[in-house]
Parts: sequence; structure tokens; C-alpha cells
Amino acid sequence: MRRKRIWGVVLVLSALLILSATFAMAEEKVYINGIDANFPPFAFVDKSGNPDGFDVKSLDWIAKEMKFKVKHQPMDWDGIIPSLKAKKIDIVASGMSITDERKKEVNFSTSYWKIKQVLVGKKDAKITPEQAMIDGNKIGVQRGTTEAKWIDENLLKKGGKKFELIQYDSAPLAIEDVVNGRIIAAAMDDAPALDAAKKKPVKILGGFGMADEQFGYAIRKDDAEFLKKVNEGLKKLMKSPYWAELKKTYIDK
Amino acid sequence: MGTRCGIMSPYSRLFGDHVRMPESLIAVIDALPYLLQGSMVTLVVVVGAMAFGFALGAPLAVGQVYGHPALRRFITIYVWFFRGIPLLVFLFLFYFGLCSALDINLSAFTVAIIVLGLISSAYQSQIFRGAILSLPEGQLKAARALGMSDFKAILFIIFPQALRLSIPGWSNEYSILLKDSAVTYALGVAEIMARTHFVATRTYQHLPLYFAAGVIFLVLTWVGTKALRLLEEKTRIPGYSPH
Repeated sequence: MRRKRIWGVVLVLSALLILSATFAMAEEKVYINGIDANFPPFAFVDKSGNPDGFDVKSLDWIAKEMKFKVKHQPMDWDGIIPSLKAKKIDIVASGMSITDERKKEVNFSTSYWKIKQVLVGKKDAKITPEQAMIDGNKIGVQRGTTEAKWIDENLLKKGGKKFELIQYDSAPLAIEDVVNGRIIAAAMDDAPALDAAKKKPVKILGGFGMADEQFGYAIRKDDAEFLKKVNEGLKKLMKSPYWAELKKTYIDK
Repeated sequence: MGTRCGIMSPYSRLFGDHVRMPESLIAVIDALPYLLQGSMVTLVVVVGAMAFGFALGAPLAVGQVYGHPALRRFITIYVWFFRGIPLLVFLFLFYFGLCSALDINLSAFTVAIIVLGLISSAYQSQIFRGAILSLPEGQLKAARALGMSDFKAILFIIFPQALRLSIPGWSNEYSILLKDSAVTYALGVAEIMARTHFVATRTYQHLPLYFAAGVIFLVLTWVGTKALRLLEEKTRIPGYSPH
């Protein structure tokens, strides 16, 4: 009897496993937007656990206008382009800068947002970005971002500067270390920097010489049809009054 | 990002907005329901992986002890392989590599269970092997002398006893899997750590939230090991020891 009971448990557990697997596979086909939910105000998770943010709401509007279904899938930034290429997700609307290097891998929608790269330091710091980036200092940055690459190539390798570049999982973690005093400043996009300045004792020190960038949605190369649809929707969105409303809610607050 | 009209946060529902508490405490209370939902995801992944690992690991252990030399060799390589590759590497190879190469579209959640289960099967097979080897050799001989076939003897004599002896090893495996499951966030599985991270980046309350996540993991570990201890006591045959 005991033996039978043990096998019963095993059977139930395996049945559960198979069931959960089929549920996961039987989902209806919708376009999946991969987001880095650690990137407020463009993409984050709200209090009740739903994806929210400037990019999330923008894409929701576009999807409604262009009549397709979209689901937002929070994931690790490091794996976001591999996921797109492996068809795990169909679009990345999550504050991605358009770069030549990324263009080799994926297509981009028309740009919708201009960003500056800034250095963020402690609120009471009385230093300029130049003074922060002197030899021996520590500067934080989010791993896998355009600013991380640019600083490494242009300031450290070509520029001959000798500050230490510390790579973090997300920009907010770099901010955390600015507050702790472990690093002197963190480099990031201006919108998340403003967001951080509202919630933590930090401020923007200024730019550090990197050219302005444009945000765009990344879409797989072979998905030209979808790209066309998204571009059309984006064009409509930027002309609609909702665009100003989004800016007011998420960025200018 | 702006409080939304009509929806009250868990904090205001419990205490009302007029009660002042430190920001950190408010952030933790507000995040708790969301984090606890994540612990359900974690639990399903861990229990699924344990079941999958058991279904594979138990036959592997029997094969490694009683099997043909070639089979034993194969199982040794299998165990070495799955114990040797770091979880994150394996997750990436399986999710981005194998799934695309074979053109099967498995969700991150399913891949997390399969990969953790495969790795766990290697560890669980060794838990079982140890349990089987700790049984006196005479038992198998006695079963044969009674006219049982090898298969029957292993299934009805060795296996039930080994199963009981492996339960303490399981609680080890459970607590390791529980914490390993946090790595699956890299694929986008919304388990406890992923959710903690999301809330922390929105509220900038990193330390209190990681502290809360740590407490949730401690509770889950306690619940799991306690359940296995109960199972151990429940399945023990009074007055009997294999030695």
C-alpha cells in the first residue's frame, strides 16, 4: 500500500509538470514585447505587478490603433537581443538606443525619443563631470548599454583616461552605489537619471561628451511587415494628443 | 509613477494613508502581495524540477549501481556533464541555442523547469545511489533466493528502502534548487528575485526589499524541509532499520 501511495505521488507530480508545460505552449499567438523592467520611466513594473512605463503605454496604444495584440515580457537586458533573434520575443520597446552595431542584428522603427547621456553624482557633490572622471576614480554604468561601450572605447582605450569603470546589472543599482559612496558617479540616459534624482539624494552633474542618441523599437530583420505596421502606428501616436499626455505622465513629472 | 485613482495600495488598505511609517516599510508592505505571487512561481519551478529530476534520477541511480558496464559508464558521463555546467550557461544554451536550433517554442518557464530538472536529476541520482549502496548486499541475494527476478527485487525490495533513505538528501536538494531558481530570471521567469528587482528599481528601496526577499526564501526553505521531515517520519517503518 505504501509503495502504491509513493508511486501515486510521483504520478500526480509528473502529470502536473506535463500540464504546466502544455499550458505554457498553448498560449494564443500575440506579439511579445521584451522589456527591461529595471528602466524607469520607460519600462518598469507597477505596484500591482503589471508592466508600465512610457514605452509600454506607447506600444499598447499602437497595438490598439493597428489592431494587433501585444504582451509585455520583463526580461534581462543582457539577453534581450538574443531573445529577439531567437523569436522568443517579437519587439523591444524598452528605451533601446539605435546604434550601427545593433542595426547589424535587428531593424529599428523610426526614432521617437532623443536622449542625452549624463553623469549622476551625489546631491551635495560640487564636481563637474570632468572632475568626476579623473584617474583613479570609480564610475558606474549599466552593463551592455551604449554608454558602457562608448566610455570604454573612447575615454578609456582611446582617450587614455584611467578611471575605473564598474559595470552594474541596472542603472538604479549604480545609483545605489553613488549614494553609498562606493563610486563617485554613474553614467546613464537623462530620463532615468531624472527619475533617480526624484527618489534618491542624487543630481545630474552634466554630460560627458557622448553624442545624443535616439530611441527606437527593435524588430527582427525578417519581420518587415510588422515593422511597417509599428512605424505607421508610431507616426500616428506622435501626432495624437496622447503623446503629450504620455510625456507629461512619465517624463516631465 | 503616479498613484492611480481608485486602486488603493496594500499599505493604505491596511493602515490608511494617515498612518506615517518609514518609506522602506511602506515599500515592503506594498510589494508583499506581488512578491508572494512570485514565490508561487518559484515553488512551481522548484517542485516541477524536483519531480522531473526524480523521474530521471531514480532510474539513473539503479542503472549506475546494477547496470551493464557500458550503461554505468554512460551514466557517469551524464552525471559529470550536468553537474559540471553552470546553471546560467545551461539555461542560455538550452533557451537560445537548442530551442531555436530544433525550432521548438518552449516558454522560459518550461525551460526553467526542464533545465533545473536535468541538473537536479544528476544530483538526485547520486543521492539515490548512496542510499542503494547503503543497503546490505544480502537483501538482493535473499530476494533472489526467494525466486524474485532482478527487476522485481530492485523494484520491490531495494527501491522502497532507498527511497526512504534518500529523504534527508532531498531536503538538501530542495533548498539548493530553491535558491538556484532565482537564476532563471535571466530568461524572464518572474520569480521572487526578479520581482524584488523590479520593485526596487521603481521605488529605490533596494535594501528593505532584498531583506524581505531573503525572509521569503527562509520561510520557503523551512516549509519545504519541514514537509520532507514529516514525510520521513510518516514513511518510517516502526522498529525497522535496514542495518
